[in-house]
Amino acid sequence: MTVYITSTGSFLPGPTISVDQVENILGAVNGKPSSLRVQIQKANKIQTRHYAIDEHQQTTHSNTEMATNAAVECLDRAFIPRERVGMLAVASTQGDLPAPGMASMVQAELELPEIEILTTHGICSSSIMALKAAWNSLRLEEHEAALVISSELASRLLKKQRYEAATTSTFAAKRIDFSTEFLRWMLSDGAGALLLQNKPAPKGLSLRIDWIRGFSHAHALPICMSVGSAGRPDDTRTWQDYDTYAQAEQDGALLLRQDVRLLDNLMRMGVDGYLRLVDEGVSNPSEVDHFLCHYSSHHFRNKILEMLDTAGVGIPEERWWTNLYTRGNTGSASLFIMLDEFLRTDEVSVKVGDKVLCFVPESGRFNTTYLQLTVVSK
Amino acid sequence: MKNGEIKIEGIKEETTEESNTDGIDMNPHAQVCLQHLLRVWLGFERDLSKVPLLRRIDLGTYTAEDHQVFLRNLRQQVIEGSRWITRTASSFDRNHAEIRSTVIGHAVDEHRDYEMLEKDYVASGGKLEDILDMEKNIGSEALHGFLMYRASRSNPIDLLGAMWIIEGLGEKMASSWAERIQEITGLTANSTRFMTYHGHHDGEHMQEFYRTLNSVCIDEQASASIVKTAKVVARLYRLQLEEVEYDVQ
Repeated sequence: MTVYITSTGSFLPGPTISVDQVENILGAVNGKPSSLRVQIQKANKIQTRHYAIDEHQQTTHSNTEMATNAAVECLDRAFIPRERVGMLAVASTQGDLPAPGMASMVQAELELPEIEILTTHGICSSSIMALKAAWNSLRLEEHEAALVISSELASRLLKKQRYEAATTSTFAAKRIDFSTEFLRWMLSDGAGALLLQNKPAPKGLSLRIDWIRGFSHAHALPICMSVGSAGRPDDTRTWQDYDTYAQAEQDGALLLRQDVRLLDNLMRMGVDGYLRLVDEGVSNPSEVDHFLCHYSSHHFRNKILEMLDTAGVGIPEERWWTNLYTRGNTGSASLFIMLDEFLRTDEVSVKVGDKVLCFVPESGRFNTTYLQLTVVSK
Repeated sequence: MKNGEIKIEGIKEETTEESNTDGIDMNPHAQVCLQHLLRVWLGFERDLSKVPLLRRIDLGTYTAEDHQVFLRNLRQQVIEGSRWITRTASSFDRNHAEIRSTVIGHAVDEHRDYEMLEKDYVASGGKLEDILDMEKNIGSEALHGFLMYRASRSNPIDLLGAMWIIEGLGEKMASSWAERIQEITGLTANSTRFMTYHGHHDGEHMQEFYRTLNSVCIDEQASASIVKTAKVVARLYRLQLEEVEYDVQ
């Protein structure tokens, strides 16, 4: 059974936030402006982004609400009634509640009756896990339509109060704790939704899903991006091992961390996976018309370009398209938000027959995911 | 700083040498071979992260003592390295004069590198006699045995696969390990001269490598043999690092 993405939707909360306003929203830790912010923002080149918290760090939209809003937009644009949707797959790094799964919460908001649900947990690649499961479900002909949503509310982890409370953490002890602060100036909030169907939309363009593949390297490589430990090599406790959650917070075990030293591995494993797909005959770089790559920062774009060129599987830069610079890095939601705009933007001409290669690497513990879509119309 | 961009701490700028095939129009067999070699390399590099001694570099728990262990165990391979390279050179006939010249040049460049490594060892707090007394570890025996065997065959172009792995590692030592080791152990640059020097040197070798690959990898059989040898060397090199002898002999 061939499966198509027949509708998309996205939701970006609140006003557009420029580079200079970011610290007004997240807050200056202990009243002191960050000494790393400008440096990190210059490297990632993200110009504008959105947050689901206000300048008092109060939540304006829950993660469930953002997911729901993206889904509503997607369903409003669809040519089928929502009753025909048989499956709901929802991805997020952290839902509003640790339990139950976020799909339950989103289902309730959307009032979708007696639907099959799936919640995927991970970081950036969790959306691709959800997409793949929904795709397979349709391929098995269990459903005729599935809704796949990814939503991220990173700013709740990044607000100043989190850092101020971590009084015995590495962040408090060091003058500059790069690995703890890095993601603060990278991530922002948003949601995207895709509708999958067993036939293309009656009007307009649909995206046929050709294949979805993933390669995880957690068996070999250490953790690179995480929440839940204090970030000290010799301390194996996780946040739930402390006597109280307050102690875990104080020790910095609830802060989001990225070991930037290990990030090069992600580019390497990303290129390795693509070479594997080329070798298997799954992908042919010369046939790729559009390359939608989720990279967290402009800094990494050139590295990926360089490595692909070396291997002789380079995709010319004019075929790359991203909205990272205007919508921000919304983690697992990024690709869905990107696809939604890609189909509507005037920046790029999308024609029937075009092949769209997507790449979503996850630094967490090095999972690299790829998919190819073909533009079709009925 | 480069072009007004601020470097992110901990993320090294890619050195262009390794990844630049500019100006070399690779033939299709060499191009496919290079793609396979790159995958062998990336798998090797990833799997090195599993080696306990090297994992501590990633995790930041590597000590000055670990560094001494590393150098003690590396030295034999560096010494033997110049032997298999010169053996390789002598195994090429006159139809392979070009590659023979390249290999000879390479051997001249590196045949006394182990002396630098010995100085690094002393600068790291080790005793010279301890490193001089070290024998090859189990993995070094296997690696050296394999390389000498392949080098003794006529026209051993497959050893380009071995060079790919060993040169790549030199580059990695310089770009990823040397500074990091200084940072986490408190050792000075005097303790990582071999790593740093070797890396810079290997960068120059990469251009040479691409040219040589292009000239000798002209059919599927050549490509397959180069890739196979790269895989064996990658596995045996990792074995050498897994089988480190922690005690002085």
